[in-house]
Parts: sequence; structure tokens; C-alpha cells
Amino acid sequence: MRINDKFNELKKQGKKSLIVYLTAGFPDIMFTENFAVELEKTGVDMIEIGVPFSDPIADGPILQHTNQLSLEKGTNLKSIFSLCERLKARISIPYLLMSYYNPVYQFGIDNFAKECFQTGVSGIIIADLPFEESGPLKDSLKTYGIDLISFLTFTTSERRKEKILKKSSGFIYYISLAGVTGPREQLPERLMDDLKSLKEISHTPVAVGFGISYAAQVKEIKKYADGVIMGSFVMKEIIDNKIEELKKSLISFREELNGESK
Amino acid sequence: MKLPDKYGKFGIFGGKFAPETLMSPLEELEKRYKETIKSGMFRKDLKYYLEVYAGRPTPLYFAKSFSEKIGARVYLKREDMAFTGAHKINNTIGQVLLAKYMKKTRVIAETGAGQHGVATATAAALFGLKCDVYMGEVDIKRQSLNVYRMKLLGSNVISVSSGTKTLKDAMNEAMRDWISSFERTHYVIGSVAGPHPYPMLVRNFQIVIGKETKKQLLKIEKKLPDYLVACVGGGSNSMGLFYPFENDRNVKFIGVEGGGKGLDTNLHSATLCKGSPGILHGSLSYVLQNKDGQIHPTHSISAGLDYPGVGPEHSFYKETGRAQYFAVNDNDALKAFHLLSETEGIIPALESAHAVSWVINNKEKFRQNDIIVINLSGRGDKDVQEVAEIEGTL
Repeated sequence: MRINDKFNELKKQGKKSLIVYLTAGFPDIMFTENFAVELEKTGVDMIEIGVPFSDPIADGPILQHTNQLSLEKGTNLKSIFSLCERLKARISIPYLLMSYYNPVYQFGIDNFAKECFQTGVSGIIIADLPFEESGPLKDSLKTYGIDLISFLTFTTSERRKEKILKKSSGFIYYISLAGVTGPREQLPERLMDDLKSLKEISHTPVAVGFGISYAAQVKEIKKYADGVIMGSFVMKEIIDNKIEELKKSLISFREELNGESK
Repeated sequence: MKLPDKYGKFGIFGGKFAPETLMSPLEELEKRYKETIKSGMFRKDLKYYLEVYAGRPTPLYFAKSFSEKIGARVYLKREDMAFTGAHKINNTIGQVLLAKYMKKTRVIAETGAGQHGVATATAAALFGLKCDVYMGEVDIKRQSLNVYRMKLLGSNVISVSSGTKTLKDAMNEAMRDWISSFERTHYVIGSVAGPHPYPMLVRNFQIVIGKETKKQLLKIEKKLPDYLVACVGGGSNSMGLFYPFENDRNVKFIGVEGGGKGLDTNLHSATLCKGSPGILHGSLSYVLQNKDGQIHPTHSISAGLDYPGVGPEHSFYKETGRAQYFAVNDNDALKAFHLLSETEGIIPALESAHAVSWVINNKEKFRQNDIIVINLSGRGDKDVQEVAEIEGTL
């Protein structure tokens, strides 16, 4: 399913999107596969499948830990593409790959795009690939109708924001705070104002990630954005083996996002 | 054309592969750097502190006894005589002064052996900025004396226990800090690595080495050198020496990497000799990695060379053939460490001993009148204890 179609479908139902990140291969690749299926049943709208990397500079302690352990299990793009191949038959919501650039670069950009297409991947998020360097991958993915998700954040200059928005597709990944991934008690005060003004100019849906772990945060964000992304919060519960609690939380977030939205 | 280009590229290498949050701070740094270095005041300050505080210019010393052993005319650029004992101070005085001009109140740095950490802590003490240094847990144990030096200088040393617990992970952690602290904090990268503008900025603060060398050598020999030889970890001392000779096509550039236990093992840090292009720490350059693009652990007897990446301009020099890169293994570096100490009374840093060793190993190829400049990038006092332990003489 195309990301765009998912957002349109949700919009018609008056809902906002719940996007969940899973480090592929943590604690093992079978878990990732089965849990993705569970997530769809729980009402998650999209899944980001994290490709582990040895040097995840944008990630906090939780995802550093899951990346490292997944690598020790031998997870690589090859095993992740077989996972995607299996998911293609098992889930109908869009799934994306989230990676750092080097594993993709070594796989070969064209090869990577082709494999993504064949295994049903809808979008790609690369943590360390800003707009300026994204041309080759974007072009290659475009051939197959796969979105390269663009990041924006409050430090993005107006000049760059315009350029990035113009070329954006799928959704905008809005980084809520200055920092690495990981749950925060409080999100920056300016976030809602920033989102409000972004929504006025963006033709692409906006999803907010980094730091989100409470229903109250979701409740605020959904007023001004089209979705929330949860990663570290989810992986922390998985690390602590609190799967049932996690599902309950996700259901409450889902309900929060279903409610009337402005 | 002057490189890097406006995208921060040296040919295909370099660039800005950074998380979105850092794009604006990097742009800001580039802009402020370009403005600041034009200011007469900044240049005057920089010159003053490099001369009066760091002890520049450093001597270019004709190593007579060593030359006789080699059968060529060998000069040593005495960066070991710069304050804090290595070339690192050139860059940190430049960057910390820049940070002060940018009205930052804090600096952070990554360090492997602790040399860059000490040099940053020194400049931070001098200019009155708060300083936090990230250092791998493994390196903290190997270089406890430098940890104490940084503390004496009023800096805070933060132990990094992620990944391989060495320089690469210290750099990851410093970047993570900077992602949240950039408004008041300047990140002092210690080598010609990282996202643009760092490779350019660090190079420009280090080219004082090559500029002085050129002037000093022309005065003594009335001609340019045949060889410039320097060790390459991230590549700042070598780039600082090479760059002012870039257009002197007859001057051969030799970069010497840490060969560790040998290039046929996995225990080395010879990124340019054995690596392949990849993206690490914000730029595209040669990297030691596996087929999946995961970064390899490295090994070198010298902590300053123990890094799986290298500055993008070196990758460019390798591709264009402007420089040649070789590796010297741990044992040969140790032999050179002793030989230079005995013949010249100069104990070189283990890093610099790699460059000395390459000259020893290749003495057959030099002619009597060949002029060779070795960058003696640091002094060996910091390594004395480790060498004694390795050799069982302590």
C-alpha cells in the first residue's frame, strides 16, 4: 500500500496516523515478523523497520542497544529483505525501512531500490541523508514508486524548508526536539507553534517523531500533525519484555488518534 | 579549483551526511568561520596565541645521524615541540578561539589517545570556555595520564561505553551531544574528518605546519623537498603538511597508516590501504567496514591512528594519485621509536614513529641528495609507559 493512500484513507475517517518503529532482528527476526502482524491488529497504521547500524549517531541509548544486539545476531539487509518478503503476504499496512546511509550505499543504491520494490517496501527513511545528498537514492526509488521520506525540524532554515517540501513525498518526518531518539518527559514548548505553521505550507502529511511516549503528548500533537512516530518507547517495552503493556499503550494511543481532530 | 567545492566535496568524497538537526548548525559554522577568518582581529589573535602560547614556528631540524643511516637528507618538522606535545594544539587554538568569537560558552571534543582532548582542554582553559571531552572506556584505561591532565585543566572527561569503546564511539557520542547542545556549544573535531565544513576548517588550521616547512626548507636548502612523509589516522597532521605543497607536483606525499599486526589480519587501522568508500561520521570517505556496511573494529599500537575512517581529502588524494598511502605495522613502529630516540635524542610519539619507520623501511629507494621531511607530529612521552609494558622492561 502506498503511504499516500494510507494517509488519505485515514483522513476520510477523520483519524491520525500511528507509526511504530521496530529494530529488525531484535530480539530476533522472527519476533520482528510476528510482532509486525500483531501491530497491524492493534491498529498501527505503518511500520518502520529499522536496519541496524554499528554507529547510529542520531540514536539514544535504547536504540543503540537494540541496534548492537541485532547486529550480533547477524541481521543485515539480506535478512531484512526476506523479512519484508514474508510481511508482504502477512500484513496490508505500509512498511518502511529506516536506516543509516552506509548499509544502503554498500548494498548498492539501484539494487536496494529494486529489492525494496520486490519485497513491498513503501518508503525509506535515512537518518543521515539530508536533502542535499539525497538525489541519487531519491531518483532510484522514484523509478519504483517508493517514497524517500524527508526530515524537517525547527532548526531547518526557511530556504531549505521550501526546497525540501517541494520535493517531499509520503510524509514529512518532523523531529520534535534537538537531540537523539529516546523518550522525554517534556517536548519543547515551541513544537505546537512550529507544527501549526508547517501544516499551513506543507502539501505532504506531517508525522512527528523523537521523544514521544505519553498519551498526553499524542493528544497535543495530533491537533497539529497527521501522525506520530514511536520508536524508543516501543523498543524499551520490548527490551523489558512488557509486550502486553505495550499493546495496551498502543491501543490507548490509537484511541487518542481516532478522536475528533481539528 | 580550490577544494572543497560549495557542497563540501573533494571529488566524490566529503559532503554533509548529517542528521537534519545538524544541518543548520553546520551551515552556521561554515558561515561564521568564513566571516571570522577574514577579520583582522581574529587573525591577529590567532597568530599571537600560536606564537606566544603554542610556541610556533616549530623548528625544522636536519637529522644528521639519522640521515646517515638512511642515505638521504632527512628533516624532522618538530611538531613535538609545539605546546602540549603535538600538532593538535594548532587546531584547538583555532577552533576554540573561533568558538569564543561565535559567543559559544562550551566546547566538546572526542579523543582517542587523549592528545586532542588535552589540546582542547588547554585551549578551553586559556579562553575560559567550559569543556567536556568524550573518551572511550578502553582508551581511558590505556591513557590514564592524559585523563588526569584534562581534569587538571578543568575539563570534564566523559567515559563512553558504547560500541568498541574507543575513538569512533567517542566521536559518535560527541555528535549526539552536539545534536542537542549546538546553540551554546561548539564541537571541536580533532581531525580533518566529519561533515563539511570540518575537513576544510581543521585543514586550514593545520596548514601552518606545511607553510612553515616550506619557508624553512627553502631558506636552508634553496629547494623543495622530494618527499613529505607523515602518519595518517584521521589525517590532520599529514594534511597540514601536504596541502601547502599541493601544486608542487614534484613533491611526493607519503601517508603512513597503522598496520597493526599486519594487513593480512583484521587487526590494523589502515583505512586507505585496506578500506573502501563509505559513509561514517558525516562524510563519504574510505572506511574499514564489512560487506554489510558495518564499521570494523580497528587496532593499532598507537591510539592516535586507531580509527576506521579517514579525512575525505585523503581519499581524494588517493584516488587522484596525488598522495600514496602505505602501512607500517606495530613492531616496525616500535623499532623506529627506539632508533630515533637513540640516534637523535628525540622520542617520537608512536603515531609519528610510523612515518619514521616508513623512511627506514624504504631507504633503498632514496638517493643521497633526496630531501625527505618527516612530520614528527608528536612527542613520545605519553607512550613511554606503554612501550615499557609491551617490552616488559618496566
